[in-house]
Amino acid sequence: MKIIEILTKIDRRIIYLILLIAVIVPLLFPSPEKVRVMPPVEKFYYAIDKIPEEKALIVDFDYAPQTAPELDPMGFAILRHAFKKRIKVLVLSLYVQPLGLARNALTQVVAEFNSAAQTNADSIIYGRDYVFLGWQVGPILAMLSMGESITNFYKVDYYGNKTDTLPLMKQIKNYNNVGLLASLSGSDIPKYWVMYAQNRFGLKVGAGVTAVSASEFYPYLQTGQFSGLMIGMRGAAEYEEMIEKNLNIKSRKKASESLPALTYAHLVMIIFIVIGNIGYFIKRRKK
Amino acid sequence: MKRTIPLFLVFIFGIMGIIPFIIPNPIVQGTDEFVRNNLLKILAAFALILGLGSLLKVHMDKIRRRRQNWGYSWVLIISFIITSIIGLFGGVAGTGILPTTIGSFSFDVWTIYFNVEVPLGSTMFALLAFFMASAAYRAFRARSTEATLLLASAFIVMLGVLPLGERISPHLPSFAQWIMEVPNVAGQRGILLGVALGALATALKIILGIERSWLGGGGE
Repeated sequence: MKIIEILTKIDRRIIYLILLIAVIVPLLFPSPEKVRVMPPVEKFYYAIDKIPEEKALIVDFDYAPQTAPELDPMGFAILRHAFKKRIKVLVLSLYVQPLGLARNALTQVVAEFNSAAQTNADSIIYGRDYVFLGWQVGPILAMLSMGESITNFYKVDYYGNKTDTLPLMKQIKNYNNVGLLASLSGSDIPKYWVMYAQNRFGLKVGAGVTAVSASEFYPYLQTGQFSGLMIGMRGAAEYEEMIEKNLNIKSRKKASESLPALTYAHLVMIIFIVIGNIGYFIKRRKK
Repeated sequence: MKRTIPLFLVFIFGIMGIIPFIIPNPIVQGTDEFVRNNLLKILAAFALILGLGSLLKVHMDKIRRRRQNWGYSWVLIISFIITSIIGLFGGVAGTGILPTTIGSFSFDVWTIYFNVEVPLGSTMFALLAFFMASAAYRAFRARSTEATLLLASAFIVMLGVLPLGERISPHLPSFAQWIMEVPNVAGQRGILLGVALGALATALKIILGIERSWLGGGGE
């Protein structure tokens, strides 16, 4: 009787404490985990890698601080990949909230590259190599309007510059000049890119999503509507692995560093579920 | 008249929303672009103001009537006023119309964003892990065959996405991937098709004026 009591009635504070230790200890002593790269991330990587010189990559940062630990490393890794390959980048957010995170990622990655640059040609220059379009009202309006003219919809960029005066925007007029759109989102936004921008204008879309929402995006990957799919912390770690292996980018691998914490937290949950079920079965047999 | 005009506008703009997807005529496309880039942008800006007004009205009403947890409405209103003042006068990144910097501390939207919103948002989401662990321990039981299958697939997927899964068996990540790509997609596709057909039927009912509950007053 006593064992059943113990197994089925563990105080929630004990569960909280054990989970807290399982998360904090690996974060205090980070050691990046190596992961096997799965096909959805591999496809995403090569979709970006093969963007032709005359075309740009749009990175849509559409996640709030709540989901930033999972999605931020994806944004960083994609930007590093694009700048290393000298792919032209446009950054935007369809909602106001993620703007700060987008700005943060851009500022940090550009600084990383520019600190190692020797000449002007090596540097990542605003207006020439990338543009931060910022935010405009109406997410679906943005998706549809950019198919006709990006500068017509985003008349000014995030910093208040007129977009049609920026050298990069003279080459990138609409989706015809865009090789891929990477939608990093904690919500349904990647699906909307498929519905509005891909169906009507043929824009290629890749998605980076949170692990909890991943299951609903797989149908789009299977049909080929997504050119790649990155899922949660693990997906970001796989992308970090790819850019390190293929492009020799040696930067901090935030997702890979966080994987041990994620592993232990999941293990704790699995153990508690097993304990709960053992208690349940003993109780049922006794009845 | 109060109902006829909105119904007429919904019919016209509903049809105008569909036509550009199927007719690539330059006049149709041009009209669509004009509606989107001019009319809808202005409407969206008004909707934003309307939404903010409505939010404040609801919370003022809650305070006035002393409804449950009315104290939190004060938090919202005070935060709204402070953020608006800082945003209007301090600007986004300290570029506002008034000097709002004290020492190295800048009173602007980014200061609020990075020092209040980011930590608060992260904290709220982080708490979920603890509640989920406790709830999973209490409720995730193999009570039936369906529940057992759910439990087994959850374990496989959880372990499969972690580096640990690969150490248990090199086939585990691929098996987890298969669960997501085959049985999951089969179920998801059914749900997607159902939702899409439902949305289509509802949209048609609204455009044709059969469904009028959005006007207020039910289906009259």
